[in-house]
Amino acid sequence: MTVNVKTLNDIIAPPGAAASALATEEYFVNMGPQHPIAHGSLRLVVRLDGETVREVIPVPGFVHRGIEKMAEHLSWRQLIHLTDRTDYLSALMNNWAVARTIEQAAGLATNDRIETVRTIVAELQRLQSHALWWGVLGMDLGAFTPFLYGFREREVISEIFEDTIGARLTMNYIQPGGLMYDIHPDFAQKTKRVLAYLKPKIDEYGTLLSGNVILQERLRNIGVLPAARAIALGCTGPVLRASGVPCDLRKVEPYGVYASAEFDVPVGSKGDCWDRYCVRIEEMRQSIRIVEQLIDHIPEGPHTTVKFGARIKVPEGIHYGQIETARGILGVTIVAGGKADAPYRLHFRSPNFNNLWAVTELARGWRIADIIAIQSTLDLVVPDIDR
Amino acid sequence: MARVKLTDTRKETRTLAGRPVPVVVTPRFARRGRLAVFADALASLLAGMRLTFGYLVRPSTVVTRQYPENRATLKLPARFRARLRLTLDEHGYQRCTACRLCERACPNASIRILTRPGALSKHELDRYIWRMDSCVFCNACVQSCPFGALEMTAEFEHAVFDRRLLIFTLNRYAGPPASVLLKEPDEAKRAAAMEPRDPYGGPVPLNGTDLPYLKALAVAPRPDPVRHAAAPAPGGQA
Repeated sequence: MTVNVKTLNDIIAPPGAAASALATEEYFVNMGPQHPIAHGSLRLVVRLDGETVREVIPVPGFVHRGIEKMAEHLSWRQLIHLTDRTDYLSALMNNWAVARTIEQAAGLATNDRIETVRTIVAELQRLQSHALWWGVLGMDLGAFTPFLYGFREREVISEIFEDTIGARLTMNYIQPGGLMYDIHPDFAQKTKRVLAYLKPKIDEYGTLLSGNVILQERLRNIGVLPAARAIALGCTGPVLRASGVPCDLRKVEPYGVYASAEFDVPVGSKGDCWDRYCVRIEEMRQSIRIVEQLIDHIPEGPHTTVKFGARIKVPEGIHYGQIETARGILGVTIVAGGKADAPYRLHFRSPNFNNLWAVTELARGWRIADIIAIQSTLDLVVPDIDR
Repeated sequence: MARVKLTDTRKETRTLAGRPVPVVVTPRFARRGRLAVFADALASLLAGMRLTFGYLVRPSTVVTRQYPENRATLKLPARFRARLRLTLDEHGYQRCTACRLCERACPNASIRILTRPGALSKHELDRYIWRMDSCVFCNACVQSCPFGALEMTAEFEHAVFDRRLLIFTLNRYAGPPASVLLKEPDEAKRAAAMEPRDPYGGPVPLNGTDLPYLKALAVAPRPDPVRHAAAPAPGGQA
């Protein structure tokens, strides 16, 4: 059996004739690796016919740091800090995904306090991540003001994290068997204050951007992703839910204390850019709802069940765990055995990598400016694609 | 179209893999006449303008912090992880026993501990070398220390013109930890066991010892025994 591997050269070699009455030719344009919408370093080779997109070929790999390989040389505890640097906007959820997989494999028990705090900080981070996404979407589409507003909301949540975790971006907070620190004494009070502050701000987003006719026209009916295609491409998270599939691991396969919290899964009806936009805005409201239910009922208990120096024994075999990050399902595959205190192989099924390939289908046939809207509503974090 | 309220959501229950999932369907656009659409579009632009203008005329809502003007009043949280430090006890003695647990816990070998035989104990800390240039501030060293000898401080202004200045010798003196020092009743013997160390000396490649503008910082008066013989002494003073 032979497999024909298509290289970038094969794809871009023959520029076909343009579908035009005039004697025109198709041409290629590089979007990125340095482009404001790339949100990192992502190269999109775009085959164009005039201004119409014929094909988008993503060329990832500019932020490849070999995180999966590095993890093979670090102990179970040490490798957690690497996950901060994949999808840095959901660092806590990445920590959680790896920690949870290790806990399941090694049979480490946690307690209710740990799980509740993990759920709360994960939801706060989802809020923070979506606030930033909202601001950046505005900036990508030419409105600078939302960027500042999004960052303003991000900042108040960052301050909660600073108090409890001591970091603003690279958290390394959720560790196998517990948390790095117990929550700050002011955590609950401060979080409630922030939630009260955030609720009217999300309505403000409606006034500033969602209601804006320019934004609506740039998102409405652009880049429609049917549910079947979204599933086939392996899209997860808000991208999949905007296509109408209510797949949310927090509901379908509850972890943490999501089972005891009451919330709805936002879904879209059409799968266009507008639905992806609305789903994320609604997710922010739902996250506030989840945190509000949990913040007054954090059970007492120790913040970790495994001493830092204790050796974590992961039995030989292949272990898989997954959680819902702000961008979709992050799956962690651990192949244990062979080495004493480190994985033999660690693999991330990162949500951004699969969501990225949706752009190849979504942008086809649209104008070059629509790539921006499509790319923005896919909410890609490039370091997570390249790892 | 236009005129869409994001709160106009519809609640229903869908099933996924045989499991009921309560969902909330996000709003779509209502069909409207052309004139109504035009009026809505204009109103939406004005509404956004009014919001931003409202912030402009209310300075109390400004959240910008004037750094570095506010440095004197800037308060960072106690847990903020920025710069590693060796803690001192109430006598000013270090707690570090040079057990190397932090060196082992460090995920990228940013910590190097040099030891030497001591006068009061068999083995004592000579240099605690911390490479901030490769540190990821993961806090593993602080967590691994059973003696509470390490802490992360909120000192966050790390910018320097020469990366050699990011490699520190953390201990202020080479010598035994507080637990050993306090067993020695003679004050003079204690002082003799503590040999001063400067932050930038030592046998680390690329450290700041030889920078001319750092000579004033060097306090170690005699050549370091661990150093390569041909290399200049710390601070170039010996």
